[in-house]
This record gives sequence, structure tokens and C-alpha cells, in this order.
Amino acid sequence: MVLGTYKNAVSARATDKAIQKVSQDGGIVTALLSYALEEKIIEGAVVAGPSETPWKPEPLVALTSDEIISAAGTKYTFSPNVWALKEAVRSYGLEKVGTVAIPCQLQGIRKTQSYPFATRFVADKIKLIVGIFCMENFPYASLQTLINEKLNSSLSLTEKMDIGKGKFWSYTQDEELALPLKDTHGYEQAGCNICKDYTAELSDVSTGSVGSADGWSTVLTRTDAGESIFTKAVDAGIIETKDIADVKPGLPLLEKLSNSKKTKADAEIKSRIELGLPVPF
Amino acid sequence: MSERIVISPTSRQEGHAELVMEVDDEGIVTKGRYFSITPVRGLEKMVSGKAPETAPVLCQRICGVCPVPHTLASVEALDDSLDIDVPRAGQLLRELTLCASNVNSHAIHHFLVATDFVPEELFATAVDSVSEIRKVTQYVVDMVAGEGIHPSDVRIGGMAQNISELARKKLYSRLKALVPKVNAHVDLIISLVEDGIVIDGERQPIPKGLGAIDQPVFASDRIYGNRDFFDFDRFTEIMPESWYDDPEIGKRACSTIPLYDGVNVEAGPRARAAKFGGYTGKGVVAQHVTRAHEMKSYLSRAIEILDELNTSAPTLADFDIRGTGKIGVGAIEAPRGLDIHLAQVKDGKTQFYSALVPTTWNIPTMGPATEGFHHEYGAHVIRAYDPCLSCATHVMVVDDEDKSVVKDEMVKI
Ligand SMILES: Cc1cc2nc3c(=O)[nH]c(=O)nc-3n(C[C@H](O)[C@H](O)[C@H](O)COP(=O)(O)OP(=O)(O)OC[C@H]3O[C@@H](n4cnc5c(N)ncnc54)[C@H](O)[C@@H]3O)c2cc1C
Ligand code: SF4
Repeated sequence: MVLGTYKNAVSARATDKAIQKVSQDGGIVTALLSYALEEKIIEGAVVAGPSETPWKPEPLVALTSDEIISAAGTKYTFSPNVWALKEAVRSYGLEKVGTVAIPCQLQGIRKTQSYPFATRFVADKIKLIVGIFCMENFPYASLQTLINEKLNSSLSLTEKMDIGKGKFWSYTQDEELALPLKDTHGYEQAGCNICKDYTAELSDVSTGSVGSADGWSTVLTRTDAGESIFTKAVDAGIIETKDIADVKPGLPLLEKLSNSKKTKADAEIKSRIELGLPVPF
Repeated sequence: MSERIVISPTSRQEGHAELVMEVDDEGIVTKGRYFSITPVRGLEKMVSGKAPETAPVLCQRICGVCPVPHTLASVEALDDSLDIDVPRAGQLLRELTLCASNVNSHAIHHFLVATDFVPEELFATAVDSVSEIRKVTQYVVDMVAGEGIHPSDVRIGGMAQNISELARKKLYSRLKALVPKVNAHVDLIISLVEDGIVIDGERQPIPKGLGAIDQPVFASDRIYGNRDFFDFDRFTEIMPESWYDDPEIGKRACSTIPLYDGVNVEAGPRARAAKFGGYTGKGVVAQHVTRAHEMKSYLSRAIEILDELNTSAPTLADFDIRGTGKIGVGAIEAPRGLDIHLAQVKDGKTQFYSALVPTTWNIPTMGPATEGFHHEYGAHVIRAYDPCLSCATHVMVVDDEDKSVVKDEMVKI
């Protein structure tokens, strides 16, 4: 299946205006993790928190909703959240941990759950993983180049970044800057070109912007845990939903992009193998 | 006519050792010799010439039973050599780690001696009790020191990080809940030891005075360890060949013999109880009883620390890694006795490293402790001292031809 195994697909957004204001899309990640915290399904969550350097995230072990909200919004560079999972169960003392992860991080997390090397008593404490869709990610130096050089702006002035409608967007107080995606090619990390997972297929519940209207998110519930918490959050009025069939462009676009990521990756994998380069799968 | 009884290797202990007993016509031990036959590890050599941070990481792997005390002794030695004052919270977290680890280790020992003391109908109860205590105390080490087996957060200068307030409260309430369990466990062990040992399927009272020796006790502190106790000038070390009066054993023994004031000493729970608690009992029963009692002391100290700990205080000191060339001493009261690491840092590298470990102190003492009683008790005497040999081995066999130890590569200062 091109979108991986899933139970239900909907278009959704958080009802809390405070979350809507700071979130990247429908605020699903922030709303779900905060709700799981309130319902004691998790005791804390590892999120991509802010650091002292603009737009360079730092994994944060969030123990309150406020901390989870402080990490809302997409940062288009690496946040080694998996690394902080161990700290979350060790010095932070969490026995039920939630986290947000892009597909490659999910592979790592699921692997630790199958083979807990150096993650003794960690892997079994991960109770909720919200996956986010991902086409590519950028090294921080690339981000500096895109924003400072290509868009003639500055990371410290940037208030939001986004990828959509074939462009890389940067928003400042008074400007809306865009770069055609073809101009960002080559700046992504090399591994992304052989990454076949677009929709975080290994998550409990995954979400991204593609398929839904602005300010809304497309959500795929995948595991029992993911389905259960999402349904509870909807029933509790934390999240509102729309039937994905009524939404444009809807699942067909998501399927198309997911398919094209897999096809491109297959071609790149093939050519790397021919060149004798290592491919991890 | 004298006969020789050899137990090789002695069992239900860590590492390999041999007990050689000369016995008279009645089977009474007239001469007991106990020595390590565990191959050398050489960790002290491996850390020499490397960055100081390497030492605790490698030295904690000297032994799978005592990784925590070795890590602590290592960082304490390096702190001392580098003249570091560890922040109060870091020091408390280190002590908390040791308390939890020592309770865990004593519980493991109870598992090892269970078949000596525990009747079948109580076996499951005793093993459950050991498991429950181990689970909670290992959890403490996991959280406080980053990893239960080879702690990653015990660092030169303190601890890598403080624990969260949530973790502090959790650990506090779990250790509080463990108190009645540990009390019941200690009562169980002591009552079983008082009932006697099972030999050939029969329970017999432990003979009065079994395993008692008159060597000086060697202990630096009731709980954590105190480097000021250790006086270089009073310490000497001799080769096994000059200690054991049997040349064959002298050649095969793998550990040097450390002496304090020129004599062999006794380290461990009874030594600590005698020195800091005025305890007067000696021998096998005393070893078991004091070991069991220590579990309570460690637990109450751990709870006290969690009560006092400021979770927002710094835990790690800044320091100058270049070093002064001073030989630093790390002294930690490990479950089986005082664990001393010596380290010298100069020009940013460890120049010299040595570990004088708990069982090394007890090796020359345990053999004679079997004397005067029937050889059937020999192994029980050894187990009462709870030897753990892998860290104790320090002698290098250089001549492969005749296997003789011709050079002490490891610990000579
Ligand atoms: C590198 C990257 C590429 C993406 N590409 C696509 C795409 O092609 N198509 C698509 O539909 N969606 C993509 N997304 C997802 C999208 O940008 C939103 O993150 C997603 O829709 C969630 O929005 P939200 O409003 O529910 O989340 P919010 O409530 O805003 O929360 C976002 C969460 O994501 C976490 N986060 C932010 N940056 C990172 C990071 N770098 N690594 C790990 N976690 C992070 C934050 O900690 C926060 O918890 C991408 C995200 C990333 C990080
Ligand atoms: S495209 Fe794949 S490899 Fe690249 S950041 Fe996204 S999930 Fe990771």
C-alpha cells in the first residue's frame, strides 16, 4: 500500500485557538501529545524544542502542555529526538513517553523496540509516536544558504517556513518569500534521496499538510494505540475532523507524492548499488 | 597423615579461584590457601596514555558485578588528581548510585548462597524477594546514573546531569515502598543463616567461630568511602610467590598480595560494621548478618539523599583536564570491601593508573579463615566472604614456557 497500513484517514485540526496560532498545519501533533499528557497516557514527550540558534531545534523532554506548545511548528533541519528518548526515561524518570518523529527517526525507534541494544528498558516505555510526513530534510548549513543567500533574508527574522505548492516558503513579519523547490534540490541531506517512506508508515498516527486545506492536516491512524487516542481526542472535542473524501486535493495527492518518493528512491538506490555505494536497505 | 583437598574452581562467586586445604586425619583444615586463577585483564595498562575520561569508561568494565563502584572509584581518583571539587548535588547523586548498587549486589549474593540456606518451601519466596529488591534498586541506578550496568552519567567532576523533580519523587516513593520489603528480606536471611547451612541435604547449625580471623579490618567509611583513610606509606604489595608457602600455588596465583602495615587485612561488610558500628561478631555468620544489615543502611541513606537532593542544582564541575601530576586516590566502599583506584593525570593524559580492589584485600585472608574446621565447610567460608575475582587479577604471566610469573606489570607503584 502506498500509504502504508492505516485504519482511518481524515482531515483534521486542533480546536484550541492557542494551538492553531503556533502550529505548522492543523496542530495535530501538539494537540495529540498535549491531550495524551493530560489523560496520563504519557508522562512527557520528546519534541523538537527551540534552541539558542534560530531555527536549529534541540530535542526537548516536555513535561507540560506549555512545553509541548513551545515546540510547535516545523523546523526544516535535524532534531535528534531519538537520542533524547533515553534521557527521557532515565534522568527525567518517564515510564510512558510520547514523541514526534519523521519517518527515518521512526525506523530507528521501531528498531530499538525490536532489538533494544543500548536501549535497555527504554524501548518498552515508548507509548505514543506521532509521525509526520516528510519529503526531505536539510542540514542547517543548507537552511542558512536557502534563507540567507537564495532568499536574501535572515534566519533570525524568519517566523515560519513551509513547503507547499511546489515551493519552499519563508515568512517574516512583513514578507512572504518563496523559492521554487527545484532550487532547493541538492541542498537536502543525501540520505533523503534513498528514503522510501513519505507518510511515516511506522507511526501510531501520522500527519502532514498534504491533502488538506491550509490550517488543516491529513491524519492517518495506524495502530490501535494511535486510533484510540485520536478517537478519544475527537470525542473530547480537542480535535475536529472532516471526511477526507470531501476534501480537495485529498488522498489522491498524498498517494501520488508517496508513490513518486518511493519510485525516485528506488531509482536512486539502484544507481547507488551499481556504483558500489552502500545502501542501508 | 595430612591430605590435600582442592576445590577448583570455587563456585557461586564471580571469577575463578581455587581453594587448597591441607587436612588432618579428622578432615580438619590445618592450612587453607585461596588464590585467584582468573586471567589478567590489564585495564590499568589500557587506560594509560589516554585521555582521563577513558579511565572510568574502561575501568567500569573490570567486572560485571561491581561496575558502579569501579566507575565511582575511577572518577574519584581522577577528581583527586585534577583537584576538582564536585558540586554537592553531584556528590549526593554518586552516593545514591552506590547505595542502590550495593543493595542490588548484596541481593545478588543472597541469590548465590540461597541453596546453602534456604529450604525448598521458602525458595520461591526468597528468590522473589531478591528479584523485587534488584528490580527497584537497578531502576534507581538506571535513572540516576544513566545505565544500570555500565553507568554513563558518572563523570569526572560529578554527574552528567541532575534528575528531574518527577524522577526524584518517583524514586523517593519507590524506595520508601521498598523499606518493608527489605526489612522482611533481611529478617528472612538472618533467620535462615541462624538456622544453619545445608550440607549433604541436612541442615546443620554453623559451628561457632567458623570463618573467624583476627586480621585488622580495612574500611574507610560506613557507606560511601573516604580517600583520606588510605595512607600510601602503610601500603605494600608482594608477589604471590613470596606469600604462598607452596611454590606451585605461588606460580599459579594471579593476584598480588596487598598488605597494610605489613599484614593482610579483612575488607567488606563485617569490616565496616566492626569499625563504624562497634560490631564484635566474626566469621561466617557475622559476614552474612552484617551484609544483610547493610542493605537497610544503604536504603535509608538513599531515601535521605532523595529527600535532600536539590534537582535544580548543578552536578558537574568545570575543570582543567591538563592535570598536575598528583596521584589521586578514589576510595569507594564496594559491596565486598574497599575499592581503591589511583590515577595520575599530567599533560592531559592518564600517566599512571592502578586499582586495588576489594577482593584482592580479602584473598590472603579467606584461605586461613577456613582453618580449624572440617573441610566440608571450606566453600561456605569462602562464599561468606563473597569473593569476586575478575577485578582482583593483576599479575601478568610473562614466561609462556613454564607459566611462571616473572613480572608484575599492573599494580606496582
Ligand atoms: C523535515 C520535515 C519535512 C516535512 N515534509 C512534509 C511534506 O513533504 N509534506 C507534508 O505534508 N508534511 C511535511 N512535514 C510535516 C509538516 O511540516 C508538519 O510538521 C506536520 O503537518 C505537523 O503539523 P502540525 O500542525 O500537526 O504540528 P505542530 O503542532 O506544529 O507540531 C509540529 C511538531 O513537529 C515537531 N518537529 C518540528 N520540526 C521537526 C524536525 N525537524 N524533526 C522532528 N520533529 C520536528 C515539533 O517538535 C512539533 O512537536 C515535514 C516536516 C518536517 C520536520
Ligand atoms: S526524507 Fe526520509 S531520510 Fe530524509 S529526513 Fe525525511 S524521513 Fe528522514
